[in-house]
Parts: sequence; C-alpha cells; structure tokens
Amino acid sequence: MKEVLLCDHCGDEILNRNVYTYKTKSFCCNGCMTVYQLLVDNQLGTFYQLEEKSGIRPKNVQEHKYDFLEVDEIRSKLIDFEDENYIKITLFLPEIHCSSCIYLLENLPKILPAVTSCQVAFVQREALITFRKNELKLSELAKFLNKIGYAPNFGNRKEESKKFDKVFFYKLGVAGFAFGSIMLWSFPEYLGIEKQDDNLRNFTSYLSFFVSVPVLLFSARDYFISAYKAVRSRNLNLDVPITLGIIALYAQSVYTILTNGGPGYMDSFAGFIFFLLIGKWFQNRTYKSLSFERDYTSYFPVAVTRLTDGKEEIVEIEKINAGEILLIRNEEVIPCDSVLESDSAKIDYSFVTGESDPVYKYKGDFIYAGGKLLGQKITLKADKPSSRSLLTQLWNDIKIDKLKPNRYKFQDVVSKYFLACVLVIAALASIAWMFIDPKRIPEIVVAVLIVACPCALALSSPFTYGNIMKAMGRKGLYLKNTAVIERMDEVTDIVFDKTGTLTESVHLHVRQTGDELTKEEKEMLCSLANSSTHPLSRAIVHFFRTQNIYGNLDLSDFLERVGLGLSGDYLETKITLGSHLFIYGEKTISNETETYFKIGDKSGKFIFHSELRAGIKQLIGNLKGYNIHVLSGDKDKDRELMESLVGNKANIRFNQSPKDKLDYVLELQAQGKKVLMVGDGLNDSGALGISDVGIAVSEDVFRFTPSSDAIIQAGRLHELNTFLGLSHYAKKVLRICLTFSLTYNLIGLSFATTGSLTPLVAAIIMPVSSVTVVGLSTVLVLLKRI
Amino acid sequence: MGIIYIMLIISLLIALFFLLIFMWATKTGQFDDDYTPSVRILFDDENNDQQTNQTNNGNSEV
Repeated sequence: MKEVLLCDHCGDEILNRNVYTYKTKSFCCNGCMTVYQLLVDNQLGTFYQLEEKSGIRPKNVQEHKYDFLEVDEIRSKLIDFEDENYIKITLFLPEIHCSSCIYLLENLPKILPAVTSCQVAFVQREALITFRKNELKLSELAKFLNKIGYAPNFGNRKEESKKFDKVFFYKLGVAGFAFGSIMLWSFPEYLGIEKQDDNLRNFTSYLSFFVSVPVLLFSARDYFISAYKAVRSRNLNLDVPITLGIIALYAQSVYTILTNGGPGYMDSFAGFIFFLLIGKWFQNRTYKSLSFERDYTSYFPVAVTRLTDGKEEIVEIEKINAGEILLIRNEEVIPCDSVLESDSAKIDYSFVTGESDPVYKYKGDFIYAGGKLLGQKITLKADKPSSRSLLTQLWNDIKIDKLKPNRYKFQDVVSKYFLACVLVIAALASIAWMFIDPKRIPEIVVAVLIVACPCALALSSPFTYGNIMKAMGRKGLYLKNTAVIERMDEVTDIVFDKTGTLTESVHLHVRQTGDELTKEEKEMLCSLANSSTHPLSRAIVHFFRTQNIYGNLDLSDFLERVGLGLSGDYLETKITLGSHLFIYGEKTISNETETYFKIGDKSGKFIFHSELRAGIKQLIGNLKGYNIHVLSGDKDKDRELMESLVGNKANIRFNQSPKDKLDYVLELQAQGKKVLMVGDGLNDSGALGISDVGIAVSEDVFRFTPSSDAIIQAGRLHELNTFLGLSHYAKKVLRICLTFSLTYNLIGLSFATTGSLTPLVAAIIMPVSSVTVVGLSTVLVLLKRI
Repeated sequence: MGIIYIMLIISLLIALFFLLIFMWATKTGQFDDDYTPSVRILFDDENNDQQTNQTNNGNSEV
C-alpha cells in the first residue's frame, strides 16, 4: 500500500511519480515548488499558516502570453494612471479565494521591490497595484502573478455603472436625513402640545418644508420618471400609484404649511421615499465579483500576433482585417474565421460547439473563430474581421437584455387593479361626502390617495425576492437579479446541455476490453500512462488506481508522440498505448473515444464514456413536474446514457449547432412554454439568452461563463429542484406579504374615508406596515432555510 | 423658550454634518469593500511586530 501524498503548496494529491522536494516539503509540480521557495525565501511563510489549502497550482506561462501589454494602445486602456515613474493598475485576479491570498498579494512589494503597493479588494477579486515602470514592465508583472498562481484576467470587464450606484446612495442619504430631521421636529405635533406656541410650530413647519424640497426633487426623481414613462406607454406599473400618493402627500402638506396649519404629512412623505429607496437598494443588489453580461469579447484575446512581411507585430483584435496573416500559439484562441496556412492543426472546439474531441484541420481548411489551438503554433489567414465571425454573429443577432428587465411582473399586475380600486374608492367616498359635507371632498380624496400609497406593497417584492436570492447564493446559485426568481417560478420545461452540464468534462468513465491482463501487466500499462499528462492517460491512471495499481515501474526507451500515443519497454516487454493509427498503422472510424494498447502479445482497448455528474440521476427523478429536454453539440455517442436518463426520446437531440439550440428554445416558447435552459459553453449562449431563465454551469464561478440570468456552481447542479422549490416558496411568501400590506391599506382607507386621517395616524400606519412586511418576508425565508 | 430655536438649528446642522460625512464616505469608497480590511488588519499587526522586533534588535546591537 502506498499512502497518499499531498502537495505542500496546492494540497492536491501528487499523482506523478516524480515528486518534487525542497527541504522537508514535497510538491506535485515544479510550479508549486517554485512558489513555495519564493515565499519562504521572502519570509512570507505565514501564507501557509493562515488557511489550509491556500496555495494555487500555477499554470505554465506561455513565453509570449502577456506581450500585448507592452503595446501602448492596449496598455493605456487597461491602466488607471501613469506618470513618468509610476503605473497604477487594477487587475482582476479570479484566483483570489482566501485570506492567505490577501496576505500574499499585499506583501507583493517584499518579493518584487519595484511594486510600491498592492491593495486587494477581496469581494471584487481585484488588486490595485502601483509599481515603478522603469524597473518592472507590466507584462513582467502579469507573468510574475501568473507564476505564483494568480493569472490576471484582461477580458473586457465592463465598468458596471459605479457612478450610478453612488448617486443612488446620495439619494438614500438625503431621504434618510430629511426623514429623521422632520420626525424630530414633528414630535410636539405627535404629542399634541403644538398649539401652545404658534411661532414655534410655524418655524418647524417651514424647516420641514425646506428640508423636504431636495427629497422631492432629488431622491424621488426616479419614481416620477418611471411613472411618466408608464403612463405614456399605457403600461401601468406600481410606480404610478406611488407617484400619485407622493404628489397628493406633498401637495397636501405644502398647503397645510402655507396656511399655517402645521407641518402636515412631511414626516410621512420623507419616510415613504426613504423606505422605498431601501427597497430599491435591496432589489438592485448584485454579486459584485460575478459578471452575467459577458459576451464574446471577454472570451476572445485582447490582442493577437500579426505577421507583416514575416515580421511579428502585436495588434488589437479589433484591428484585424480580412486577408492578414496571424500567428497563433499553443492554447491561444482563434480570434476570427480564417483559413489555415500551416500544414495541420489540432483545435479544441469544446467550449464553442460542445463537441468534446479536438478537431484536426489541414492546410487550406476553413477554421471558425472560438476554437483553442492545441500543440504547435500555426499561421492563419484572416477571412473576416473578428466582429463578423460566425460565432459573434450569434450575439449580434439577438439583443437579449432588453427583453428581461429587472421588474416584477406579478407586482405590476397587482398594481393595475390596485390603482383602479383606489380611484373607485376615492370616487365613492366623494359621492358619500357630497351628502355629508361637500366642502370636505377635496380633503377626503387627497387623504384616500395618501393612505393608499402602496409603500408596503412596493417593499414586499424586493425584500422577499432579495432574501430568497441570498438564500440561493449561500447554496451555490447566483442570480443576476431578483426578478429571475419570478420567472423561475413559472418554468414548465427544462432544457439541459449535455457536455459539461449533465456530464462532467473532466472525469471520464473508462472500460477495458480485449485480452485479460495479469497484475504485473497492468502495472506496466499504468506506469506507461503515468508518464504522460494527456487527459486520456490521466483517466487510465485513475481507472487503475481503483484497482490498487499505481504504476511505479521504471520504463526504458520511453517515447511520447504528441497526438498519437506512448511507447516504452519494461525488461523484455514492449508496451504501446495510443490511437489505432499509432498501434496498427491505419485509421478506424468509431463513434466512441478509444485508446488501444499492446503489451507483449496481448492487446485490447480502453473505451471512454462521459460520466454523469454526481446526483444528476436523482435530480432528473426529482424534476417530475417538468418536461426535460437534452440538447448536445456532440456526436450521438452517449445516446443510450441520455435515453436511460430522460426516457422521452423525442426530447433528446444530438449534433446541435448553437443556432439549432436557440431555435429549439424558441420553438418551445412558441408553444407557450416557459423554458429554463442549463448550459455551460459559448455554444449555449444564444439559447441561454433567449430562454426565460438561462443558468450557466461553472466549476469556478469567477471564470468565463456565457451571459446568463444565473450562474450555478457545478457541484450544486443536482440541487436544481431545491432552487425551483425555493422560487415557488418565494411566490407564497409574496402573497402573504401582499395580503398584509393590503390589510394595512384597508385600515388606512377606513380612516381616510371617514375623514379622520391625521398626520399622526399616517405617521404610524406607514412605517408599521412597511416594517411588518419586511420583517415577515425575512422571517418566512429564514424559516425555510432551517 | 428662545433657546429651542437655536437647538432646532443646531439639530439641523448636526444632521447635515452627518449627511455630508455619509456622502464623503460613499464618494471615497468606504463602503465598496467590507471584507478585505477586516482581514488586512490582522496582517498589519503581525508585520508591525516583526518590524519592532527588528528595530529592537537593531537597538541592542547599537
């Protein structure tokens, strides 16, 4: 038995036979060891004591990966500030994940003396770095960060209207300030001692008036604009009755003040606005570090190498024209539709098409943008500019965002009836008062409008959905905004992508066929596979590991031929492992992913199957109430697996292009169905965007995900039914809250219609109703969690 | 009773002062990141310890 050895930097199991050691520590790779040495040599060993498993295994840095940072045009777009000596830049480092990361990055000046300061914003996963530009190049800084495991991400991260955010908080501040002040000055009024001193009363009234002006003009502005738009487009929403109430409240109060009748309802007015803005704040809260709006530009590289007369030159991707020659290196993304100039290339389209096997292309073949090159560098001739590639057309064709505003449909429907009821009640009350005291009719109508102002109603949706969104976030589903929950509640059909969504892209299920092998032969085969880092070799090593075979033999004459296979000798036995072409000298055509082996005179093959993610079977079983569909960009090699999963064959489609997926969703919607789409790659992006709820699956939520309504951690996908259950529960909570807030409105109306509404009654009913609704929704959601 | 007018004005001024502080804090990004500073403060302590140790050592050598 061999005990499991863990890397002292990244904490992963060490699989290779070559264990890297430094002093008493052992590491899985050279990268991890280098980082460890670097940290210990700079007295930053505390890094390992702060948290367990804090290290990140660094990826290999391509020599030229960050060269584009030295192109002035590109650099000036990325940096915050530059003078003769210093550069200030905010870098997005998605790998930041624990307090050790903060410690390491903020101590960067100790390792790199040219860096004068580094400040981490953990929630945003950003680091603000200032460095001396004469001593350190930006590309060197990026390369260094990559080397210690924090590869910076230069994708186009849109500055998400930070300015708007701040203006909103000013509005909230002003409203809160006015609310507090006016309430303080209204105390004599509440206690009934105001009539003793008319001068004082007038003084406080005018003070209130003075303070309320900015609330009306600044804080409440958005409601007026929204209501105006709603009336003009004849599409009433909740902002209309709110605005009506605000205007009635303000007009009545100003009238009272000017006629020396006391401060009127100014306290209620400021309070209304304050509470409404808090509701809005709750409604618009988002996950700061996640991006739901990424389009193709953040997947494509910022810059690419262009060859002009044999000279390499780095240019921005937007500046590429048709006919230009481009140089693409290993692991780089093809930026535009183009023709291959080199002899051959192996391209991984898994993220674009969902096809999991790499595609081979030969000289003169047409290559679509979005694939990732594997292996040797190639040259291409651009056929179209990047923005007109087939892949990017998909984005340009559909303008999705406008279709899904962050508004609550249910609330807007309710508010239409609500407005009608209020107007009817006001009319009835004025008719009744015609017989009692016609002079008081205007006062009664205004009172009805004031007391019917649906403040509590407006708060119930944002708080209920906001609390549910937080609860979902804790379980691993991150919503773009709270309105998504309402749409989740209405879903009838669920469409799954196959590769990467239902099946895991990393772990493969291995089956061995052919001649029976002895334990020793298995050891030999495993040792051969262990020498390679190819994903299929790793899968074979894992497969043998389950049989307690570790492959620790020393092979001689080891040879790896990239893309073909491996060979090696153990004592007198020759072992080969690889493609049919490599072993038998000729190609075969097969729907399966296979690797052949020969060991001495025995032979056979390994067959690889995608493996379902853990818990998917139970999930499908738990989603009985929904129609399940599976779309795959892959060949139909996992058909049986999918059929056993879904049952209904008509709902399973293979060989689906991104456009096909989108059309499939549109077709369902045309039948009146509400579609929830779950997918992971660029190939799903169109379908994700057009469906009622699009959920992107991601192993790491901070990595690139296609634009979507929500991002789910891959490990939590099997709880999808729980999340859908939560959305139904949210609707229930919302109904209860609405009932409560309407009850308060009814109580208020009974005061208003009988002509006994006073500022004091309004000042009590309004906050009490709002606080109950907010408290109720919070408590009900908390209860669900337990 | 004249004093109450002054008190009212003062209450308004104090409230205004707090409003301005709030706006200043928002503007300078005091509410942008509510997690990192809570972690950072722990590191600073430790670094200061090291530094004081070093200076102490320096002094003893002198």
